[in-house]
Amino acid sequence: MSDKQEKEQVYARYVASGKTMDHLASWGKTLAEVMNPEGKPEVLDGILVLDASLGNFSGIIAASFLAEFGAEVVKIEPPEGDPMRKVTPYGANQQGVGIPFLVEGRNKRYLTLDLRKSEQDRREFARLAGKAAVVIETFPAGEMDAWGIGYRRLRETNPGLIYIAVTPYGQYTEKAKLFANLPDSDLTAQAGSGLPAQVGDPANSPEPYNWPLRAGMWAAWYISGLSAALGGAVALVHRQITGEGQMVDVATMDAYANMVGFPPTIGYTWEKARPRIGVLDFILYPYGMWKCKDGYVVIAAPRDHDFRALLKILGLWHLEDDWRHTPDRIPDVVDQAMVLYKAIEEKTIQNTADELVKKALRYSARAARSKWRGGGVPIIMKMMTPPMTMESKQFAIRKVFQEVEDKTLGKFTINTNFVKMSESPPRVKWVATDIGGDNEYVRNKYLGKE
Amino acid sequence: MEDYFSYTAKLFDPSKISEKPEVLKGIRVLDFSHVIFGPTATRIMANYGAEVIKLELPFHGDLWRPATYWGKYWKHSNPLWHFVTQNKYFVGLDLKHPEAKDIIYRLAQMCDVVAENFAPGTAEAWGVGYTQISKINPKVIYLSCSTYGQYGPLRFYPGWDLLAQAASGVLSVTGYADTEKFYKLPDYLGDFIPGNFGALAILMALYFRNKTGKGQYIDLAQSEALMRLLFHFTAFQLKGMDIGRTANTDPTMLPASIFKTRDGKFMALACATENQFEALCGAMGRKALLQEKAYADPFERLKPANADSLTKIVAEWLKNTDGEELIQLAREKGFPAAEVLDDYQIYKDPWRRERGSVLLFNDEMYGELVMAGPSAQLSGTPSRTKWIARPLGYHNRLVLKKFLEMSEEKITELEKKKIIGIFDDRPGLKPPVYYNLDADPVYNYGRGETK
Repeated sequence: MSDKQEKEQVYARYVASGKTMDHLASWGKTLAEVMNPEGKPEVLDGILVLDASLGNFSGIIAASFLAEFGAEVVKIEPPEGDPMRKVTPYGANQQGVGIPFLVEGRNKRYLTLDLRKSEQDRREFARLAGKAAVVIETFPAGEMDAWGIGYRRLRETNPGLIYIAVTPYGQYTEKAKLFANLPDSDLTAQAGSGLPAQVGDPANSPEPYNWPLRAGMWAAWYISGLSAALGGAVALVHRQITGEGQMVDVATMDAYANMVGFPPTIGYTWEKARPRIGVLDFILYPYGMWKCKDGYVVIAAPRDHDFRALLKILGLWHLEDDWRHTPDRIPDVVDQAMVLYKAIEEKTIQNTADELVKKALRYSARAARSKWRGGGVPIIMKMMTPPMTMESKQFAIRKVFQEVEDKTLGKFTINTNFVKMSESPPRVKWVATDIGGDNEYVRNKYLGKE
Repeated sequence: MEDYFSYTAKLFDPSKISEKPEVLKGIRVLDFSHVIFGPTATRIMANYGAEVIKLELPFHGDLWRPATYWGKYWKHSNPLWHFVTQNKYFVGLDLKHPEAKDIIYRLAQMCDVVAENFAPGTAEAWGVGYTQISKINPKVIYLSCSTYGQYGPLRFYPGWDLLAQAASGVLSVTGYADTEKFYKLPDYLGDFIPGNFGALAILMALYFRNKTGKGQYIDLAQSEALMRLLFHFTAFQLKGMDIGRTANTDPTMLPASIFKTRDGKFMALACATENQFEALCGAMGRKALLQEKAYADPFERLKPANADSLTKIVAEWLKNTDGEELIQLAREKGFPAAEVLDDYQIYKDPWRRERGSVLLFNDEMYGELVMAGPSAQLSGTPSRTKWIARPLGYHNRLVLKKFLEMSEEKITELEKKKIIGIFDDRPGLKPPVYYNLDADPVYNYGRGETK
């Protein structure tokens, strides 16, 4: 493909015909609809969410998702603020507010109530909860109940209340009771839900590379927050239809295992745990990262025809006989699989990422236009770091990053627009973090002048 | 008053789940999606009561049917596939055929939700895109799942979970600094997490439709869903900080790392708050640390040099502490700690069984299988598993007769023309060899007396 050629390249057989391209142009009207969330109605307009979570980011994240879909989210904290304000990479902060708290301050309101210490504040909370659709909390299981503001009490006056609780071991079972006072963190939830056990080099590698390895992001806290919001969304639909509320119980020690579902089923069918296999994959091969001349690329060419195509574009056709079928390539003998890994690496390090990407795409476009089946779609992509991603034209056009302004902390960029919807998309309207910044607003609006 | 935990035990009693109402009862989903990303979104719909009709190409089926970890099958099925395909109806239908399209349009007319995850443009090219479906069913909620989204310069680029991990920046953050390895999030998390985002978007669209009567189009890019999980962008934009790979140490709180204890166990320990840090110092018998200038303030403590020295102190302490001892201390004093659990421990964990996080499910076709339960337990309208994966085309008769009132003669004719079809002899597609399909009333739905 010459650089002058302006026609858009397609890599799927059925999309490659001219007729389809015309159709895609008319489809553009629908796409134009989803491109901009501004001015559209909000799904959860008029829904009041009280986020009483303290010391646990999962609650904050769950509240964010509901806030992005239009709910009025009031974050409730004691006068000194949620300790999560100070959890931040290497201590980086804006006037005392950590980066994650800043990022999740989307569409939030802040009310000061000290639920742990003040009887009066608990009473005020109960009155607010009488008007709320959702309460989110992360206290030790049973603590809110002991204070007289748990689900059991609140539902008496507000049967439509959805009460979301997030803790390490949940709200019921013996273990939940025994471990009620064990606090939560992302790393312990990753570990306890089975993630790090799957990451890292094989047992015969040198220490510490053969250790289990954490995901370098808040995988468990974000999964738990998403699960809580999703459980809340199911409950909201039920409430909309029947007027009934319910309790949603998220245990962060379920985060990984229950998101992917593999660990318990593999434990049962294999009768043992999987070993760690480094950068390889258990099914797909080639499927991973390789070093290239100017950085790293990922290569995904796992189906047989994709693999054949990859061998062709890398000039490795002589290997075809040994590795022809998917079962030949399944890396159940890791050392053997590494032979192919090294062979591919010898070729990738001679090329830059862009050269490799171009080779694969040129092949795929040709294969898509060919009338012969089985041309293959080998995929090669440059591995992006978060700063590189921020430069991407794709994500700029899709408005994944948005500049926002906090009245105290100034302007900054956050990640947003995680799903595009034509009628009622989620969006970020503002970001705020001031402790007690909406005390007056919330009291006036929901508690009247008493 | 009744003890809280005895109250909640009744509220969430797993044995009562089948007596409780289903939120999505009466909601129908037409599911063109395959592998993990799209199917996860529709699986969650099915868990909460929706009727999900999964369409597959006859004699080929979903790409993930035969693809299993290290090639290990379980009763001639892919053991990992059962989780993603719970409660679904399996129909083998060849989209290429004009008559098949007619069937699809009739099904689409009676469905509330349509989901697909082909390469962008493919569904439109095949005549089953939002443009066409919304004409015959204006109230439809249509979810398109892709790696980069339906518009933008990368829209036609093909993708998998790995590509989304690479494009979003997620792949670059796991591993050891100054090495040449980047570990991907395991088990196709780059499909599963975006799949859950898909379910969230569908539920929000249903809520909106209940309010306004309007359907809508949803464009979900898995790379963008993954980007929602990173605060790294703001850290870079605001502070010029490229966090990169930090091995087992979480740079946002301290101490927070995975350690090896005296008895050789891998334990995660993390202090997210000042109270927790104080509790840990108490447990270590090192309360003096709280007074030290380097560790007294949380922001100061998180600076790399201080973080390193503090992590070393904890590592030294744990070299002389057993795993079980650490957990006891964490529970009593109040700081987060947990063992790094593997597949087998999670499968055996009694807490997960009691809670319903891990289910011993008894299926009519496959017998007992241990599988994961829901990510969130709901007291009023819980998620449930009714059946697991079925062979390709297993529900052809049931769906065509029950939903479209098609006659047995018509179905036989469609079978002869290969417009509808079933499995071939590959594992993952076919039923277990011991299973007598001829005597199965669901497979032979409406055929009268089964042989």
